[in-house]
Amino acid sequence: MSIMINAQEAAGLQSAPGGPPGVTRATLRRNFWRGVWRVLRRKPSRMLGVVIVAGFAVMGVAGPLLYPEHLPRDDEALYAPPSLRHPFGTDFEGTDVLALVVTGARYVLLTGLATAVITVALGTLIGLFAGFRRGRWDTVLMRITDVNLAIPGLPLLLVLSTVWKFESPLEMGLVLGLLGWGGVARAVRSQTLSLRERGFIEAARGLGLPTTHIIGRELLPSMAPYIAMNMLIAVTGAVYAQVGLFFLGVLPFESNNWGVMLNLAVFNGGALTTPAALPYLMAPLLAILLLTLGIVLIVDAMDEIFNPRLREE
Amino acid sequence: MKRLAAIVALATFATATACGTTGTTEAAQTAGGGVYTTIDGSKQINASAPINPFNPVGSVFAGYNGMALAWPKNDPVDPNRFYPGLADSWTTTPDQSEVVIHLQPDARWSDGKPVTSEDVRVSIGLAYTQGGTAYALDPRAAGAAADIQVVDAKTIKITQGANRSGMFLSNLLSTVVVPAHVFGGLLPSDFWQTLKVAQDGAGPAAETAKAEITGLAEKVIAFTPERDVSAGPFVLERVNPGAALLKRNPYFYDSAAIVPDKVKVLNYTGNEQIWNYLIAGKLDNAPFTSVPSAVMERIRAAGGSKVIKGYSPVATSMAFNQSHKPYDNVHVRRALAYLIDRAQVTKIASPEGGTPAVTTSGIHAKAARAWLDGGFDRLDPYRVDAAKAEAELRAAGMTKRNGRWALPGGKPWKVRIHVPASFSDWVAAAKSISSQLGDHGIDATVVTAADYTLYLGELADGKYDVAFWLIGLGPSPYNIFQRLYGQANGWQMFGGRLSHVPPGTQGNWMGGPETVEAGADGTVNPGELTSRLSYTGPEERKRIVGVLARLTNEQLPVIQLWDYVNTQFANTSRYTAFPPDDHDALRLSSGVWMQLGMIKKRQV
Repeated sequence: MSIMINAQEAAGLQSAPGGPPGVTRATLRRNFWRGVWRVLRRKPSRMLGVVIVAGFAVMGVAGPLLYPEHLPRDDEALYAPPSLRHPFGTDFEGTDVLALVVTGARYVLLTGLATAVITVALGTLIGLFAGFRRGRWDTVLMRITDVNLAIPGLPLLLVLSTVWKFESPLEMGLVLGLLGWGGVARAVRSQTLSLRERGFIEAARGLGLPTTHIIGRELLPSMAPYIAMNMLIAVTGAVYAQVGLFFLGVLPFESNNWGVMLNLAVFNGGALTTPAALPYLMAPLLAILLLTLGIVLIVDAMDEIFNPRLREE
Repeated sequence: MKRLAAIVALATFATATACGTTGTTEAAQTAGGGVYTTIDGSKQINASAPINPFNPVGSVFAGYNGMALAWPKNDPVDPNRFYPGLADSWTTTPDQSEVVIHLQPDARWSDGKPVTSEDVRVSIGLAYTQGGTAYALDPRAAGAAADIQVVDAKTIKITQGANRSGMFLSNLLSTVVVPAHVFGGLLPSDFWQTLKVAQDGAGPAAETAKAEITGLAEKVIAFTPERDVSAGPFVLERVNPGAALLKRNPYFYDSAAIVPDKVKVLNYTGNEQIWNYLIAGKLDNAPFTSVPSAVMERIRAAGGSKVIKGYSPVATSMAFNQSHKPYDNVHVRRALAYLIDRAQVTKIASPEGGTPAVTTSGIHAKAARAWLDGGFDRLDPYRVDAAKAEAELRAAGMTKRNGRWALPGGKPWKVRIHVPASFSDWVAAAKSISSQLGDHGIDATVVTAADYTLYLGELADGKYDVAFWLIGLGPSPYNIFQRLYGQANGWQMFGGRLSHVPPGTQGNWMGGPETVEAGADGTVNPGELTSRLSYTGPEERKRIVGVLARLTNEQLPVIQLWDYVNTQFANTSRYTAFPPDDHDALRLSSGVWMQLGMIKKRQV
């Protein structure tokens, strides 16, 4: 037994004809969340994904509050091996590596979130507009998109880092987002071009509904699942990009930044040569791996939630 | 870290100087054979680079297929000691106004042609196109060669210009010699006349001549000889991206001293690669490389592994921009010195490659003891003392609120310590300092620059309050104090005249005052004293070093953090007779060691 709702209904944004809109929406919303719960329960791995992402969210919000402003150091325990006191050992200053990972999560997650929001908002806006209006607007916007896609992100960021210190995660997220919206825009445009020829859009046009209604109430909800999945994937992309930049040492130094930790583990601790600094290397790597895994598992669940055909299988 | 090691090596090599002593090369028995594997710490292998020593990435390796007139000894105080290279001996007048160089009588190029005075003359001509201290085109520049005279096939006389410098001989002996029959065509037929006009002339003619000579620089750098013609013990056989292979030069003047048949110079892209080579026992020798303690343990455990330690005339410091508040106040600088545990910083940042600075004198401790005798122990050691630091901060008008120190006006004080991101030992040190200051209520943070070139540029522009800075680049006392009271602090030598420029201009980022009240030494101009070190006599030189060391200790334009240790690696599985700890050839390449009769084949 599966829930039979389409994508628009799933988003809870579509009024059902022939009844009070508020009641129908509430029912649909209830059904939607029940469906979500069932989809999650069907595979425990999806629950794990939710738990992991929720865990990181809590870490980002409350993590720094769990530790003192200046993390304690132990001069006699530089690169100490894992123990009950230090599950991932200590760093070059004798600071607990787990504490560094936990307190460093906020910057990483905030950057990821900011990047994802900017990527998706810009990409969706431009893709929708280009696909719906077609013609000259489409041509101009898609050429801009091509330029965006052609910009080599990493080299540009390396150059930018010489003049911009990226001290705030939002600054970092803004730049990554501005560099990364091209793919989403192109995909959303394709979807829009396809959807705008469908019957329900034709009907909406025939009824003389305004463009804002057609885009906001008809087109956008149909693409919401796709956009939501892109947003989550953009978070992982942003995490890789910023950790990579910090690893290369081109961004400001923060000892609890995961990329800085990787850099110091390799270049200062010799983690790839000796096991002494290996826990220091593994801890941020594990955090990135877990975060990615959590997001991938949630995307898997979302795929089934928004695709009725998958639910029937 | 890799780049820092290379910069340290280059900086110290460039500042090493020499004296007119006649040396003899000890002949050694040739046990023969084998491939000696090593690393060139100053550059990476570039398979497409020309076999040209004027090209910074050229496939010419000092001591192997690259030969200088002489090789600098690693003496802490005497900048005038050299081992013979292509110069067998040399004599100089006391004021170094005239130097006569006698070449090795049996020196030959790898194509069998003899090494002559004409080769040296052409090499000097080519060096003029690149500029440099001994080969400056401006006749008013200190220590520039004014006249080159070929006395006979094996003797050449070089005269110093009117503006004398004690560095002239050393700069001269460091000249790399190239074959005139290969490189000579790069110099136009009227080159020497043009040089004369550039050096002695005036007005537009001289300027045109200078432009003509410096205009040759690119051509010289880009020159690609068809094959290697070397006067060293080896000649390049082939080079690929992974390694350069050199074979013996049968015409080397002291071929009997050379044991290996071939030398393989391995390429590396980072320190980690050198560590792995050493752990695997692949390298017979590796020059100074920063190594974490855990990696060092593994290297030591490798079969035949040997760690050789010696003097390295370089120290790391944390420098202040004294034109930025509150670092203009000596009490603030002293307070920070009392709060930084240098032993802890060194343990964290450079446990194998450094020793904690005993105090701040501007000089490496070993050289400082030699220069200052008992005076070194009378300098304030700035041991960690929170009470003294607090007194200094209060004397500077700082206030403490809620456990945090604030600026005199009550504004929050944040110490921003700048380091280049690529120097991981400096990054770790800066982080350790920021943590220590944080423990004492001073808000401190580390700010990294993406690249060392960018770092130096921003530093020179006066953008940093506090930044890491290499000091004590000996053995010449002039070079040592140039790092503190030279261009970076506003003193500029132009046309033989010393001037002081305002902070924030022309690279003056340290922003110190032009004159300082130095207690018993009275009012001193540290830049003027430093410039006198380049030409004054031994007694006066020693007195000036004492004054400047005391001044540095009291005024703290920098806080000396650690003195570098030249940690070299050798593997005795295949070759033995490496130089022992503290040997004065330790900072030279294995190729020079071989020339000096070291490096024997291990007897099974």
